[in-house]
Amino acid sequence: MSVISLRDMTDAAIIRAAGRGGTAINGLFSMTIPPLRAFKTTPRDPKSAELPASHLGEAVTAEGFLDTDGDLHIHGKVFGRVCADRLVIGSSGYLEGDVVARDVQIGGRLSGRIFALSVTLDSSAEVTGRIFHHEVTVAKGARIDARMPWRPPSYFETLTQLPEPRP
Amino acid sequence: MSMFTRTDKAPGATTGEAVRPPETPPVSAPPPAAAKPVQAVAQPVPNTAVSRAPGVSVISKALKITGQLESTEDIRIDGEVEGDVRAVSVTVGSGAKVKGTVYGNAVELSGTIEGKIEAEKVVLTSSARMSGDVIHQDIRIESGAFIDGHCRPEFGKNQGKTAYSTFRPAAASTGLAGQTKSSDAGTA
Repeated sequence: MSVISLRDMTDAAIIRAAGRGGTAINGLFSMTIPPLRAFKTTPRDPKSAELPASHLGEAVTAEGFLDTDGDLHIHGKVFGRVCADRLVIGSSGYLEGDVVARDVQIGGRLSGRIFALSVTLDSSAEVTGRIFHHEVTVAKGARIDARMPWRPPSYFETLTQLPEPRP
Repeated sequence: MSMFTRTDKAPGATTGEAVRPPETPPVSAPPPAAAKPVQAVAQPVPNTAVSRAPGVSVISKALKITGQLESTEDIRIDGEVEGDVRAVSVTVGSGAKVKGTVYGNAVELSGTIEGKIEAEKVVLTSSARMSGDVIHQDIRIESGAFIDGHCRPEFGKNQGKTAYSTFRPAAASTGLAGQTKSSDAGTA
């Protein structure tokens, strides 16, 4: 039985597929790519702040699409697209793929694109790719190999489809 | 005529050091501690515990994962997973939904699984809803649990220890697994 998992696909193929939305990948199982979650530029109201945070520990490897309205903490490895209100990548975390979030804090490694209003890169961060941001904080010692285009909040509000990745 | 002046103190002894500083800055020795102040500046909501990796991984009710999930430790699922889950111990909380196969040593189901369970020990609590086959060695079904499928005590009979044991060496062979293991030992 030949099994193709998401990890075997090229990043570009995943990103392209994710950007289009709704296209099926015939991988280990047939699945439909979920559409991009609506971007919220306003801070969460107290009601949704009660949403429990999700934690992916160091032992976890996730592949595919992670969507949440709440917080997501990644200490393990993730391959794929992540949509969250607030994303934290711990110092042991690794993410390969695109991030769409209101607030992103990175202390680990990321290879891919960030679309976020507020980005914080800690001193232990290693980022390769592109950082679309409105506000960015970079701590001394962070390793950044990325373009960091500034965008107005309206760019994120109207973000319904990720742009095609450019070399 | 040089435009840039180097500030190396002793060219002989410190050149190696001078090239390296970003790699080993003195502050990066305890990364979570160093990360805290930055976080406090950027985040009005104080989240003091976020930088520490918790022992158990939690997929909260707000999270939906479309894809595979693997862990060499325990996973608790309260949200939605569309895809396969592999872990040592998997707990599917009430209100949680998994579409796919759940592999593990121990699986406790209080929510919904549409797919298959392959585990040594299976517990279906009173709120469990299982649509699909259960391959087990040891099963406990509480009154009120719903099962639509076959329960077969065939776990571990076909191949050595089922698919669960096949992902463990793969995860251990990657560099990151070694890294996390060493940092685990540090925190423990």
